Amino acid sequence: MRVVILCSSPYSETGCAVAARLAQVGYAPVGALTLPSWDRKTLLRKIGQWGLRHSLHYAVAKLVPGKAANRQQVLNPYLERSLRHDGGIFRSLQEVSRAFGFPVMTCGDQNSPGAVAQLKQWSPDLAIFTGGNILRDEVLKIPRLGVVNSHLALLPEIRGMSSPEWSLLCGVPLGITIHFMDRGIDTGPVLLYREFAGAGDCDSLTDLRNRMISEGIELIAEAVAGLDRGTVSAVPQADRETDRQFFVMHERLKAAAMRRLKKGEFNPVAGRCDG
Amino acid sequence: MATTTIRVLSEVAGLLRAPQRVVPLFMKLASDDLRTTFEHRHLYSYATTIIPAADALQSVVGWILDAQRPDGGIAAYYSLLTGYSDSYPEVTGYIIPTLYDFDRMAGDTAARSAAERATRWLLSLQLQSSAFPGGLRSRGGDARPSVFNTGQVLQGLVRAHAETRNAEILERAVAAGDWLAAIQQGDGSWTGAAAYQGTAHTYYSMVSWALAQLADESGDQRHGAAADKNIDWVLTHVQPSGWIKGINLHGHPAYLHFVAYVIQGILECGILRRRDDAIQAAAKSAWVVLRKFETHKRLLGTYQADFKSGQKFSCLTGNAQMSCVWWRLFEVTSDLRFLNAALKMNEMLKQLLPLKGRRGVLGGVAGSYPIWGRYQPMRFISWGCKFLADALMMEQRLMRNFEASECA
Repeated sequence: MRVVILCSSPYSETGCAVAARLAQVGYAPVGALTLPSWDRKTLLRKIGQWGLRHSLHYAVAKLVPGKAANRQQVLNPYLERSLRHDGGIFRSLQEVSRAFGFPVMTCGDQNSPGAVAQLKQWSPDLAIFTGGNILRDEVLKIPRLGVVNSHLALLPEIRGMSSPEWSLLCGVPLGITIHFMDRGIDTGPVLLYREFAGAGDCDSLTDLRNRMISEGIELIAEAVAGLDRGTVSAVPQADRETDRQFFVMHERLKAAAMRRLKKGEFNPVAGRCDG
Repeated sequence: MATTTIRVLSEVAGLLRAPQRVVPLFMKLASDDLRTTFEHRHLYSYATTIIPAADALQSVVGWILDAQRPDGGIAAYYSLLTGYSDSYPEVTGYIIPTLYDFDRMAGDTAARSAAERATRWLLSLQLQSSAFPGGLRSRGGDARPSVFNTGQVLQGLVRAHAETRNAEILERAVAAGDWLAAIQQGDGSWTGAAAYQGTAHTYYSMVSWALAQLADESGDQRHGAAADKNIDWVLTHVQPSGWIKGINLHGHPAYLHFVAYVIQGILECGILRRRDDAIQAAAKSAWVVLRKFETHKRLLGTYQADFKSGQKFSCLTGNAQMSCVWWRLFEVTSDLRFLNAALKMNEMLKQLLPLKGRRGVLGGVAGSYPIWGRYQPMRFISWGCKFLADALMMEQRLMRNFEASECA
């Protein structure tokens, strides 16, 4: 099975963890295509998402070698199992690629002609999307089987952004779905899904998200192996027409989601979120 | 062309008459230029509260109170070139409910007094036919009856009666409602001399909303029937894309303000008349706009049919109206995505609100962002302030209820 990784940054922990985990279970990528580390849009998005202080902290941890080497820690502690290796922690795709022997290419846009040509050259059976641009049809059609995404909610109930938080507020069970990507937002056929049982142990929404990302990576590894062995097949989503897309959640709603998490109310009744 | 040139020259002449306005004008031009040059909207824009709603609300209502003219009417705008305009009956009408709402929310008696003075001024304008006139009240004003203005004044009168129980106000409101019903066309639209540009418009759903309010206040269902009839006509213009055609403005593009008028009128009328078809149509259209806002973190200043394309400035009034629509849809449907978008929209509008500056600027909602955009350029407009104040009051009320229910 020829697998490529699509990544939002060479320093993306999730991207590194997916690449490393797949290599650990015998599916070392044949290549990784990433957006640049200092892409202006990504940087601004991170600042918007995390705030300036946290973003600077992240940048220093990732880019100052001495600092990062001393700390030997990851932002998402649940990825440590995938990221740890003999010499320490994988901090970039380049480090993972050196360990497992696959090339890493950087592109400004994953839909650009250069990116398309590179993907075609790798001739992948499967691509794993861990972040980056909204992929156009041309890219989605390159891998023989398709492009796989790990979505942090059960589909088709919750599509789009802030999906664990929306699951909490809308009373939808928490879960992870591995699905093929198509032109819609999280509307592609489903490979695997799993309800997430660890919410009771989470002390924050970040903690919840980190645990779900980690579990999603395990599920990706299962899906890749299942596709390779022919034990997993894609099932089209029911109810494709209903608009179940959700968008980035405002902090005041996040506060409500957090209260529900703390109180252990995972199926509350106050909000309804249907299309 | 000649009219436009005369208008521009007259605006610029305003600056010559009051050169002290040069400083705020250039400050606003510079700040909008800087902001548009460096701003970067992304998926996480406006997801955090930076400016408290209560502070912004106080400033916006302060702007409205400052805009009340000695005659009791509210100015249409404060121009950075010419200063305050004359009183404008249409917006004075629908600002009255906003002032009463603010009084109830903040216990601000100045807002109540302003609403009472505005009501008295409006009553003095009622024509023999019981209609209300269009246009600004400058130099004698335009005494021709106007369907749309009568509808918007009606909103104010109905609310004034609900607050004061003054029988004369209701009597006058009923007469205005009778006039609207009498000149309504057989198909439910309003056309003819009293309609803007002599043609029918779907944004007159805002008139139907006023008639529905009147029917609830007076108990006279003739006005409710007229509202229903117009909404029936408007609903025939709903397209599969969610676009509602028939704005019919010749010589103007379909500004978001008018698109939002259509949706808001249908929704509010639908709620009052308990019409699920109207609510569903409004929700569908509002959802299309919501997706655009959430995806791009901005709405265009104008739209073409089927929301296909438009001009890239922001029509801030239309944005505030869409916020009101989303708050109300959250109330009606409990769909939290409407609440989420409305919170973000309010945040965007608060961030564009001048919280410093001189009278006329402080707390004012600009016609366009940047200020030189096509809709009401170089002006802070009273109807923009009205809709933003409404949106901020809805935020305070609905978020209080939501958070209380979450904490219960």
